[in-house]
Amino acid sequence: MVRFENVGMRYGPGPEVLRDVTFVLEAGSFTFLTGPSGAGKTTLLKLMLLAEPPSRGLITLFGHDLATARRGAFPALRRRIGVVFQDFRLLDHLSAFENVALPLRLAGRREEDYRQDVEELLTWVGLGDRMAAPPPTLSGGEQQRVAIARAVVARPDLLLADEPTGNVDSEIGQRLIRLFSELNRLGTTVLIATHDRSLIEKSRAKEMRLVDGRLVELRAQRP
Amino acid sequence: MTARRPAHIMPREKGTTPLDLVIAVMAFLAALALGASLVANRTADSWRAGLAGRISVQVLPPDKGPPEPALSRETAAALAILQNTDGIVHAAPLSQGEILKLVEPWLGQSALVADLPLPRMIDATIMPGVRVDIPALARKLKAAAPDSVLDDHSHWIARLRGLADTVIWSAYAILALIAVATAAIVAFATRASLEAHHEIVALLHQMGAHARFIASAFDRHYLLATLGAAAAGAGLAAALFLIAGSLEYAGVQPVSFLPPLTLHALEIPWLAAVPLGAGAIAWVTARLSVLAALREIY
Repeated sequence: MVRFENVGMRYGPGPEVLRDVTFVLEAGSFTFLTGPSGAGKTTLLKLMLLAEPPSRGLITLFGHDLATARRGAFPALRRRIGVVFQDFRLLDHLSAFENVALPLRLAGRREEDYRQDVEELLTWVGLGDRMAAPPPTLSGGEQQRVAIARAVVARPDLLLADEPTGNVDSEIGQRLIRLFSELNRLGTTVLIATHDRSLIEKSRAKEMRLVDGRLVELRAQRP
Repeated sequence: MTARRPAHIMPREKGTTPLDLVIAVMAFLAALALGASLVANRTADSWRAGLAGRISVQVLPPDKGPPEPALSRETAAALAILQNTDGIVHAAPLSQGEILKLVEPWLGQSALVADLPLPRMIDATIMPGVRVDIPALARKLKAAAPDSVLDDHSHWIARLRGLADTVIWSAYAILALIAVATAAIVAFATRASLEAHHEIVALLHQMGAHARFIASAFDRHYLLATLGAAAAGAGLAAALFLIAGSLEYAGVQPVSFLPPLTLHALEIPWLAAVPLGAGAIAWVTARLSVLAALREIY
């Protein structure tokens, strides 16, 4: 699904943020990415979601070597990835419903075809009564749930989440993790970057830890 | 359930923007230039149609001695030659009243004008499709009436056509300049809008939106905004042409020897080309600007 081989990344002439990162995310796996602030977690996610090209090394995504893949193929690859950004990145002029529906709209689906799915998903994340609300009127936790719903609505092949439970209480947090687990059970490969040890301890998922831009595999996925 | 239109992917700017005002003013100027070219073209055609196939003979008063009876004798001789020339279907001298009317724009209506030794004029019409040997006819007229001058108007037709062409090509040059300026300001506005909405564009790009999907959000906005603003500008110009037309109808003609700056009913719809052209320029410019900017993103 995702393969990194000796990947390095630096911004401009600065020091390397990631060094010789090598790992494989198998299809259908569930992985936590941990590490202290500034260790390079967000940069690693950016490389995986095709936001930045690596400075060196080889990245293979869905079987495509990104160094040789046509740029024209990138939009289709990106649509196979669901992303929960740390800062949510919701569109303030759209309603919660329209934000969640965005990936389906980009995939060319018509509103009458996806309306029910989006409404059910928003209800499931506890926002059934806030569908028409624009993000600036939602609390931080509500915005986070909209961002998560947007990331999962198109049932992506790969789900990347940067601190997805940072702004919600533990009950909602567990509920969101169950949503990710359910997606994972249906075949989505999940990678969650988090500081929340309680989430990791309750899970049997693999844990990869970044320290000073280098990757250490702490724990393999338990059966 | 009834289908409804999805919300705009980009936030809408509300009210009239400076860009709308600039586009409206430029469309107004473009419509004036286009209207002027239509008037010039029509006027040149009517002048040419009025003069083509016509010749006139001017019999000048003799340099020495009294104008009469020499003027009358030479006029009669010239008229006889014209009437006996193959291909000329009609030849008749202009009355004194008609001659006075011809010089009225320059000399006025004073009674003194009638006392001046004015030349006699003979107007003749050539049968359509027949070629008359003008130099040979001029020589025959000169022999019979030494003070006669033959004018087949070709010189005037060429000069009027040249004048009209100058006006028309000047109008086209103005239209081209306005088109370039429109493209430049739309490109500038699109770049500014891309900067302002950078986060939205980056997010859509990140979520796998095709460049043409993102571009369509911008080009549609600029197409509609430009169509509206340019329609207002061109509409104002059309109103001015209609007012000028109604003034002409009421008998007001500011400069008597220049054609009135009015458009006929069938010419007014041509002004719709201005908003349509401006809209097309805006659409293409916005689209190319966004696509170029997106190519710079990984």
